[in-house]
Amino acid sequence: MRLEKCWFCSSTVYPGHGIQFVRNDAKIFRFCRSKCHKNFKMKRNPRKVKWTKAYRRLHGKDMTQDSTFEFERKRNRPERYDRNLTENTLAAIKKIDKVRVDRESRHHAKRMKPKKAQLQREAARELEQSISMVKAPGALQRDPSLTLPIKVKVSKPEKVDNRMEE
Amino acid sequence: MAASILFRVGRSILGGLSNNALGASRPSSKSADMDFLSQQTRTFIQMRTNLKVVDNSGAKRVMCIQALKGKKGARLGDVIVASVKEAHVGGKVKKGDVHYAVVVRAAMPRGRCDGSEVKFDDNAVVLINKQGEPIGTRVFGPVPHELRKKKHLKILSLAEQIA
Repeated sequence: MRLEKCWFCSSTVYPGHGIQFVRNDAKIFRFCRSKCHKNFKMKRNPRKVKWTKAYRRLHGKDMTQDSTFEFERKRNRPERYDRNLTENTLAAIKKIDKVRVDRESRHHAKRMKPKKAQLQREAARELEQSISMVKAPGALQRDPSLTLPIKVKVSKPEKVDNRMEE
Repeated sequence: MAASILFRVGRSILGGLSNNALGASRPSSKSADMDFLSQQTRTFIQMRTNLKVVDNSGAKRVMCIQALKGKKGARLGDVIVASVKEAHVGGKVKKGDVHYAVVVRAAMPRGRCDGSEVKFDDNAVVLINKQGEPIGTRVFGPVPHELRKKKHLKILSLAEQIA
Protein backbone atom coordinates (compact mmCIF):
# COMPACT_ATOMS: atom_id res chain seq x y z
CA MET A 1 0.00 0.00 0.00
CA ARG A 2 1.34 3.37 -0.85
CA LEU A 3 0.05 6.88 -0.33
CA GLU A 4 0.56 8.78 -3.55
CA LYS A 5 0.40 12.47 -4.32
CA CYS A 6 -2.10 13.89 -6.72
CA TRP A 7 -0.28 15.27 -9.73
CA PHE A 8 -2.45 18.32 -9.93
CA CYS A 9 -3.17 19.48 -6.41
CA SER A 10 -0.48 17.54 -4.48
CA SER A 11 -2.89 16.16 -1.93
CA THR A 12 -2.48 12.56 -0.78
CA VAL A 13 -4.35 9.91 -2.70
CA TYR A 14 -5.39 7.13 -0.35
CA PRO A 15 -5.94 3.59 -1.62
CA GLY A 16 -9.29 3.17 -3.27
CA HIS A 17 -9.48 6.74 -4.48
CA GLY A 18 -8.66 8.46 -7.66
CA ILE A 19 -7.72 7.65 -11.20
CA GLN A 20 -4.35 6.80 -12.65
CA PHE A 21 -3.65 7.87 -16.19
CA VAL A 22 -0.75 6.27 -18.00
CA ARG A 23 0.52 8.18 -20.97
CA ASN A 24 2.17 6.42 -23.88
CA ASP A 25 5.59 7.60 -22.80
CA ALA A 26 4.96 5.62 -19.60
CA LYS A 27 4.54 8.67 -17.41
CA ILE A 28 1.91 8.02 -14.76
CA PHE A 29 -0.39 10.80 -13.61
CA ARG A 30 -2.35 10.20 -10.45
CA PHE A 31 -5.35 12.29 -9.56
CA CYS A 32 -7.10 12.45 -6.24
CA ARG A 33 -10.51 13.29 -7.61
CA SER A 34 -12.30 14.14 -10.80
CA LYS A 35 -11.81 17.85 -10.22
CA CYS A 36 -8.08 17.49 -10.67
CA HIS A 37 -8.55 15.00 -13.49
CA LYS A 38 -10.82 17.32 -15.42
CA ASN A 39 -8.47 20.22 -14.95
CA PHE A 40 -5.67 18.09 -16.30
CA LYS A 41 -7.74 17.15 -19.33
CA MET A 42 -8.33 20.85 -19.91
CA LYS A 43 -4.56 21.15 -20.00
CA ARG A 44 -4.39 23.62 -17.17
CA ASN A 45 -1.01 24.19 -15.65
CA PRO A 46 -1.20 23.48 -11.90
CA ARG A 47 1.36 26.18 -11.29
CA LYS A 48 -1.17 28.71 -12.49
CA VAL A 49 -4.23 27.35 -10.75
CA LYS A 50 -4.63 29.15 -7.48
CA TRP A 51 -5.87 26.42 -5.19
CA THR A 52 -3.12 23.90 -5.90
CA LYS A 53 -0.12 23.35 -3.70
CA ALA A 54 2.14 23.91 -6.70
CA TYR A 55 0.86 27.47 -7.08
CA ARG A 56 1.05 28.17 -3.38
CA ARG A 57 4.61 26.95 -3.09
CA LEU A 58 5.66 28.82 -6.20
CA HIS A 59 4.19 32.10 -4.98
CA GLY A 60 5.50 31.83 -1.44
CA LYS A 61 2.13 31.33 0.20
CA ASP A 62 3.22 28.05 1.77
CA MET A 63 6.52 26.82 3.16
CA THR A 64 8.84 25.49 0.51
CA GLN A 65 11.94 24.29 2.33
CA ASP A 66 11.78 22.61 5.65
CA SER A 67 13.50 19.72 7.32
CA THR A 68 10.15 18.06 8.02
CA PHE A 69 9.74 17.51 4.28
CA GLU A 70 12.81 15.30 4.24
CA PHE A 71 10.94 12.64 6.16
CA GLU A 72 8.37 12.31 3.43
CA ARG A 73 10.77 11.58 0.61
CA LYS A 74 9.83 8.68 -1.61
CA ARG A 75 11.83 5.59 -0.86
CA ASN A 76 11.70 2.67 -3.22
CA ARG A 77 13.34 0.10 -0.99
CA PRO A 78 10.86 -2.05 0.87
CA GLU A 79 11.62 -2.32 4.55
CA ARG A 80 11.46 -5.65 6.29
CA TYR A 81 8.61 -5.67 8.75
CA ASP A 82 9.76 -4.96 12.26
CA ARG A 83 7.20 -4.25 14.90
CA ASN A 84 9.36 -1.86 16.86
CA LEU A 85 10.23 0.08 13.76
CA THR A 86 6.57 0.35 12.85
CA GLU A 87 5.57 1.62 16.25
CA ASN A 88 8.36 4.15 16.34
CA THR A 89 7.52 5.33 12.86
CA LEU A 90 3.87 5.82 13.70
CA ALA A 91 4.73 7.85 16.78
CA ALA A 92 7.26 9.83 14.78
CA ILE A 93 4.71 10.58 12.06
CA LYS A 94 2.44 12.17 14.63
CA LYS A 95 5.20 14.31 16.04
CA ILE A 96 6.52 15.36 12.66
CA ASP A 97 3.04 16.35 11.55
CA LYS A 98 2.58 18.48 14.62
CA VAL A 99 5.90 20.22 14.08
CA ARG A 100 5.16 20.77 10.43
CA VAL A 101 1.72 22.22 11.10
CA ASP A 102 3.21 24.54 13.73
CA ARG A 103 5.82 25.77 11.35
CA GLU A 104 3.31 26.28 8.58
CA SER A 105 1.03 28.33 10.82
CA ARG A 106 4.01 30.42 11.90
CA HIS A 107 4.90 30.99 8.26
CA HIS A 108 1.31 32.02 7.59
CA ALA A 109 1.25 34.41 10.57
CA LYS A 110 4.49 35.97 9.46
CA ARG A 111 3.04 36.46 6.02
CA MET A 112 -0.14 38.05 7.38
CA LYS A 113 1.52 40.26 10.05
CA PRO A 114 1.88 43.49 8.02
CA LYS A 115 -1.77 43.12 7.12
CA LYS A 116 -2.97 43.80 10.68
CA ALA A 117 -1.24 47.17 10.93
CA GLN A 118 -2.53 48.07 7.50
CA LEU A 119 -6.09 47.18 8.49
CA GLN A 120 -5.80 49.37 11.60
CA ARG A 121 -4.58 52.32 9.61
CA GLU A 122 -7.32 51.90 7.06
CA ALA A 123 -9.98 51.68 9.76
CA ALA A 124 -8.72 54.88 11.41
CA ARG A 125 -8.73 56.72 8.10
CA GLU A 126 -12.22 55.54 7.34
CA LEU A 127 -13.50 56.62 10.72
CA GLU A 128 -12.21 60.15 10.52
CA GLN A 129 -13.23 60.57 6.91
CA SER A 130 -16.63 58.95 6.77
CA ILE A 131 -17.99 59.58 10.26
CA SER A 132 -20.53 61.81 8.53
CA MET A 133 -22.14 58.69 7.12
CA VAL A 134 -23.01 57.56 10.58
CA LYS A 135 -23.56 60.79 12.50
CA ALA A 136 -24.65 64.14 11.09
CA PRO A 137 -21.88 66.78 11.27
CA GLY A 138 -24.21 69.11 13.15
CA ALA A 139 -24.68 66.53 15.91
CA LEU A 140 -20.95 66.22 16.32
CA GLN A 141 -20.54 69.94 16.86
CA ARG A 142 -23.47 70.26 19.27
CA ASP A 143 -22.39 67.46 21.52
CA PRO A 144 -18.63 67.24 21.70
CA SER A 145 -18.80 64.02 23.69
CA LEU A 146 -19.87 62.29 20.52
CA THR A 147 -16.66 63.08 18.71
CA LEU A 148 -14.14 60.33 18.72
CA PRO A 149 -10.95 60.61 20.71
CA ILE A 150 -7.81 60.92 18.65
CA LYS A 151 -6.54 57.50 19.64
CA VAL A 152 -8.88 55.21 17.75
CA LYS A 153 -9.79 51.79 18.98
CA VAL A 154 -11.43 49.41 16.53
CA SER A 155 -14.40 48.78 18.84
CA LYS A 156 -15.49 52.46 18.65
CA PRO A 157 -17.78 52.23 15.59
CA GLU A 158 -19.98 49.73 17.45
CA LYS A 159 -20.61 52.25 20.28
CA VAL A 160 -21.56 54.90 17.78
CA ASP A 161 -24.07 52.51 16.25
CA ASN A 162 -25.66 51.81 19.64
CA ARG A 163 -26.24 55.51 20.24
CA MET A 164 -27.88 55.76 16.85
CA GLU A 165 -30.30 53.00 17.75
CA GLU A 166 -31.42 54.92 20.82
CA MET B 1 -11.61 39.83 -64.60
CA ALA B 2 -8.98 37.13 -65.03
CA ALA B 3 -6.79 38.96 -62.55
CA SER B 4 -9.51 38.89 -59.86
CA ILE B 5 -10.08 35.15 -60.36
CA LEU B 6 -6.38 34.53 -60.09
CA PHE B 7 -6.24 36.67 -56.97
CA ARG B 8 -9.01 34.60 -55.35
CA VAL B 9 -7.37 31.34 -56.33
CA GLY B 10 -4.06 32.58 -55.02
CA ARG B 11 -5.62 33.54 -51.72
CA SER B 12 -7.26 30.15 -51.24
CA ILE B 13 -4.00 28.37 -51.99
CA LEU B 14 -2.22 30.60 -49.52
CA GLY B 15 -4.94 29.89 -46.97
CA GLY B 16 -4.49 26.16 -47.49
CA LEU B 17 -0.73 26.47 -47.17
CA SER B 18 -0.93 28.42 -43.95
CA ASN B 19 -3.34 25.87 -42.50
CA ASN B 20 -0.95 23.06 -43.33
CA ALA B 21 1.94 24.94 -41.80
CA LEU B 22 -0.06 25.39 -38.62
CA GLY B 23 -1.00 21.73 -38.46
CA ALA B 24 2.56 20.58 -39.01
CA SER B 25 4.12 22.95 -36.52
CA ARG B 26 1.82 21.97 -33.68
CA PRO B 27 3.51 19.13 -31.82
CA SER B 28 1.29 16.29 -30.72
CA SER B 29 2.59 14.70 -27.59
CA LYS B 30 -0.64 12.88 -26.85
CA SER B 31 -2.76 11.02 -29.32
CA ALA B 32 -5.54 13.55 -29.80
CA ASP B 33 -4.87 17.06 -28.55
CA MET B 34 -6.37 19.03 -31.41
CA ASP B 35 -9.61 19.51 -29.54
CA PHE B 36 -10.39 20.96 -26.18
CA LEU B 37 -11.61 17.86 -24.36
CA SER B 38 -10.96 15.17 -26.91
CA GLN B 39 -9.35 12.12 -25.50
CA GLN B 40 -9.69 8.65 -26.79
CA THR B 41 -13.25 7.35 -26.48
CA ARG B 42 -13.58 5.42 -23.29
CA THR B 43 -15.69 2.42 -24.22
CA PHE B 44 -15.32 -1.30 -24.62
CA ILE B 45 -13.39 -2.83 -27.47
CA GLN B 46 -15.92 -4.47 -29.73
CA MET B 47 -16.39 -5.57 -33.28
CA ARG B 48 -14.89 -3.14 -35.77
CA THR B 49 -12.78 -1.38 -33.22
CA ASN B 50 -9.48 -0.25 -34.65
CA LEU B 51 -6.51 -0.90 -32.47
CA LYS B 52 -2.86 -0.16 -32.64
CA VAL B 53 -0.38 -3.02 -32.62
CA VAL B 54 2.57 -2.49 -30.33
CA ASP B 55 4.82 -5.39 -31.06
CA ASN B 56 7.12 -6.14 -33.94
CA SER B 57 5.02 -8.87 -35.47
CA GLY B 58 4.62 -6.81 -38.63
CA ALA B 59 1.08 -5.58 -38.25
CA LYS B 60 0.35 -1.92 -37.69
CA ARG B 61 -3.38 -1.65 -37.30
CA VAL B 62 -5.84 -4.33 -36.52
CA MET B 63 -9.62 -4.46 -36.41
CA CYS B 64 -11.40 -6.41 -33.72
CA ILE B 65 -13.67 -9.11 -35.04
CA GLN B 66 -14.77 -10.70 -31.84
CA ALA B 67 -14.23 -9.98 -28.17
CA LEU B 68 -13.97 -13.34 -26.45
CA LYS B 69 -15.42 -13.08 -22.96
CA GLY B 70 -17.66 -10.17 -22.22
CA LYS B 71 -21.05 -9.43 -23.63
CA LYS B 72 -20.39 -5.76 -24.11
CA GLY B 73 -16.86 -6.06 -25.36
CA ALA B 74 -13.28 -6.50 -24.36
CA ARG B 75 -11.43 -4.47 -21.77
CA LEU B 76 -7.88 -4.12 -20.63
CA GLY B 77 -6.21 -7.51 -20.48
CA ASP B 78 -8.79 -9.44 -22.46
CA VAL B 79 -8.17 -11.50 -25.57
CA ILE B 80 -9.82 -10.62 -28.85
CA VAL B 81 -9.88 -12.02 -32.35
CA ALA B 82 -8.66 -9.46 -34.79
CA SER B 83 -8.07 -9.05 -38.50
CA VAL B 84 -4.96 -7.29 -39.69
CA LYS B 85 -5.83 -4.18 -41.63
CA GLU B 86 -2.42 -2.64 -42.12
CA ALA B 87 0.94 -4.34 -42.01
CA HIS B 88 4.61 -3.60 -42.54
CA VAL B 89 6.07 -5.12 -45.66
CA GLY B 90 7.82 -8.40 -45.04
CA GLY B 91 6.59 -8.91 -41.49
CA LYS B 92 5.49 -12.10 -39.87
CA VAL B 93 1.85 -11.29 -40.49
CA LYS B 94 0.22 -9.98 -43.60
CA LYS B 95 -2.76 -7.84 -44.28
CA GLY B 96 -5.97 -9.83 -43.98
CA ASP B 97 -4.69 -12.38 -41.49
CA VAL B 98 -6.90 -13.27 -38.58
CA HIS B 99 -5.18 -13.58 -35.22
CA TYR B 100 -5.80 -13.62 -31.55
CA ALA B 101 -4.63 -10.54 -29.72
CA VAL B 102 -4.50 -9.34 -26.15
CA VAL B 103 -5.43 -5.79 -25.23
CA VAL B 104 -2.51 -4.15 -23.49
CA ARG B 105 -3.69 -0.56 -23.40
CA ALA B 106 -7.23 0.63 -23.26
CA ALA B 107 -8.64 4.11 -22.97
CA MET B 108 -11.43 2.75 -20.82
CA PRO B 109 -10.63 2.86 -17.11
CA ARG B 110 -10.20 -0.52 -15.47
CA GLY B 111 -10.65 -0.99 -11.77
CA ARG B 112 -7.72 -2.33 -9.83
CA CYS B 113 -8.14 -4.57 -6.83
CA ASP B 114 -7.10 -1.78 -4.45
CA GLY B 115 -10.03 0.33 -5.64
CA SER B 116 -8.22 2.76 -7.89
CA GLU B 117 -8.63 2.95 -11.64
CA VAL B 118 -6.14 2.96 -14.48
CA LYS B 119 -6.55 4.16 -17.96
CA PHE B 120 -4.21 4.62 -20.86
CA ASP B 121 -3.97 7.01 -23.72
CA ASP B 122 -4.98 4.75 -26.58
CA ASN B 123 -6.16 1.26 -27.48
CA ALA B 124 -3.35 -1.14 -28.26
CA VAL B 125 -2.92 -4.87 -28.68
CA VAL B 126 -0.21 -7.44 -28.90
CA LEU B 127 -0.79 -10.28 -31.35
CA ILE B 128 -0.66 -13.74 -29.84
CA ASN B 129 -1.24 -17.25 -31.05
CA LYS B 130 -3.88 -19.65 -29.90
CA GLN B 131 -1.74 -20.77 -26.96
CA GLY B 132 -1.29 -17.23 -25.70
CA GLU B 133 2.31 -16.68 -26.71
CA PRO B 134 3.16 -13.44 -28.46
CA ILE B 135 4.06 -13.64 -32.13
CA GLY B 136 6.45 -10.70 -32.00
CA THR B 137 9.64 -10.45 -30.02
CA ARG B 138 9.37 -6.91 -28.71
CA VAL B 139 6.66 -4.90 -27.08
CA PHE B 140 6.58 -1.11 -27.12
CA GLY B 141 5.15 1.28 -24.60
CA PRO B 142 3.82 0.67 -21.10
CA VAL B 143 1.75 -2.41 -20.25
CA PRO B 144 -0.45 -2.92 -17.22
CA HIS B 145 0.14 -5.59 -14.63
CA GLU B 146 -3.35 -6.91 -15.17
CA LEU B 147 -1.58 -9.17 -17.66
CA ARG B 148 0.05 -11.05 -14.82
CA LYS B 149 -3.25 -12.32 -13.59
CA LYS B 150 -4.29 -13.25 -17.10
CA LYS B 151 -1.13 -15.30 -17.44
CA HIS B 152 0.49 -13.31 -20.24
CA LEU B 153 3.83 -13.42 -18.54
CA LYS B 154 5.87 -13.47 -21.70
CA ILE B 155 4.48 -10.11 -22.74
CA LEU B 156 5.27 -8.70 -19.31
CA SER B 157 8.84 -9.87 -19.61
CA LEU B 158 9.19 -8.24 -23.02
CA ALA B 159 7.69 -4.96 -21.90
CA GLU B 160 9.87 -1.95 -21.37
CA GLN B 161 7.65 -0.44 -18.72
CA ILE B 162 4.96 -1.97 -16.57
CA ALA B 163 2.38 0.57 -15.54
